[in-house]
Amino acid sequence: MRIGSLVLNTLESFLHNRLVALVLILAACVVLLMLVPLMGAKSATTAANQQGMEAAVLEMVSGVMSFVSALGSILAAWGAADALHSELKSGTVLAVMARPVKRWEFLLGKYLGVMAFMFCYVLVMMGMSYGLVAIAGMKIHAAPWILLVYPMVRYAIYAALGLVFGTLVHPVITMGMILALSLLTDFVGPGSFAWKPKLMWLKTGLYYLLPSTNLLTEGRFLSLRQAALKQATWLEHSITLGYGLDCAVILFVLAMWRFHYRSLRQD
Amino acid sequence: MSSPAIEFREVTKVYRKILRGLEVPALTHASFQVMPGEVCAFLGPNGAGKTTSINLLMGFFYADYGEIRVMGYEPGDVRAKRQIGFLPENFAFYKYLTAERLLRFHNALAGRRAQDAATVIPDLLTKVRLTGYERLRIGKYSRGMVQRLGVAQALLAEPELLVLDEPTSGLDPTGRKDVRDLLSALRTEGKTVFLSSHLLSEVEQICDRVIIISRGRVVKSGRMQDLLVAADRVEILVTGVTPELELKIQEQGGIIARGEAGVVITVGIAHKRETAESLWAAGMDVIHVMPVRNSLEELYMKTVGTEGGVA
Repeated sequence: MRIGSLVLNTLESFLHNRLVALVLILAACVVLLMLVPLMGAKSATTAANQQGMEAAVLEMVSGVMSFVSALGSILAAWGAADALHSELKSGTVLAVMARPVKRWEFLLGKYLGVMAFMFCYVLVMMGMSYGLVAIAGMKIHAAPWILLVYPMVRYAIYAALGLVFGTLVHPVITMGMILALSLLTDFVGPGSFAWKPKLMWLKTGLYYLLPSTNLLTEGRFLSLRQAALKQATWLEHSITLGYGLDCAVILFVLAMWRFHYRSLRQD
Repeated sequence: MSSPAIEFREVTKVYRKILRGLEVPALTHASFQVMPGEVCAFLGPNGAGKTTSINLLMGFFYADYGEIRVMGYEPGDVRAKRQIGFLPENFAFYKYLTAERLLRFHNALAGRRAQDAATVIPDLLTKVRLTGYERLRIGKYSRGMVQRLGVAQALLAEPELLVLDEPTSGLDPTGRKDVRDLLSALRTEGKTVFLSSHLLSEVEQICDRVIIISRGRVVKSGRMQDLLVAADRVEILVTGVTPELELKIQEQGGIIARGEAGVVITVGIAHKRETAESLWAAGMDVIHVMPVRNSLEELYMKTVGTEGGVA
């Protein structure tokens, strides 16, 4: 009951957060702007240029979805860091923690509140995916659960990262650190630029240590055409999602540990 | 004898600014006790360590050294927190909530049933004079209304111990009187109250025990009635005084004041017996001889003076 109340309260605070509202409105405007060339390409499609135009439309849909998906990652990280920081800064945490609430319960409530918000976001994102693809006159062949579960696990990692850094520093610095971490993850991932041979141990070490969300991109399975559908077994899904959840849990436990020992005052 | 509701034993807390290499001691070997049923004032200048002590007591900060017990448990233990009602200094709320919803939220956090809230919340809002404003967003409340709501949430779960950090801050005279009446009622009910305040005259009326802290150290602690008694002067009430005696008393540094009940002579403790006997010998009736009672303000100023705190 306590955690449930904290979850609902966090979700409600998101809905009253002007910054989040502003970002979402701006994102909606960007998506609408991106729809213009999509509609143009669709209307310009003829029998002669069908193949080329389809490829262009696919590219545009993919661009829109990547943007929305990336924005979700930022929202998840920012939301988690800000949910904690605003409580500490305003002092509302004191009245809450004076109740018989354990510190881990408070943090879990915040985390699940952020995830509840991200669930709503993912539902909108899913609707948008289907809508855009329908506008393009195509069909998504991937199972709907993939479009739901994969981004949720990815956002779970980002939200947990936001909490870890949020227990240490200001949300703006948190975002900087997460951005730096994401870039570093890209630099050490497979297919990144060539590292000097004597530094390969570092690259390999960082690759295993840093939380990677590349595997958790639903785009791996998001296929618009049957011919391009990439089949994956349940085992592959389980391993990939298990990896993501494992990362999220480890990061959340780190955040819990840090939050347990810190003072409830924003320094 | 029952165990203390609050117990600090040699508690030390130092704030560390790692980047600047600064160490600011906020509490130094602070020890005190508050027994169940007592209304205790926690006094001291700004920065003396009052809020730090309260934050340690509530489990918001960790002490560097020493031991703290609240209702028999460590600070932050949910078994202790179940028995505590807390009003922080500069109380902050979720501005988008209404008073009713905020109290429902706290009711749920306290682990109480929603059905309880339906009866308790209207009563509490009436008690703090917020009836009629329960559906207004807290963001639109005045400072005084927020403070009264804070008092209501502190009382929500029928706590055995109330920890109030500046409860009358931001309140108008009516609001202050309401809080004072509320505290008196709580004392009658046998609740323990630990109260930090700068309003010494109000504290003097309400509290049984006083703890004065300065520069992170407990400098005075005890029962109000014991602390306010001045050990160096007595007050002698007599029916009259002869001019010769009046002169003699004044020469000895005594003060004479005439009132409806008689003449009040204040003399140093060294001249108590001599003055009383002279008055008897001169045929005056000595109605009473009592130690002079200081005001809390006098005691506070004598103890703390004009010094400020460090943290």
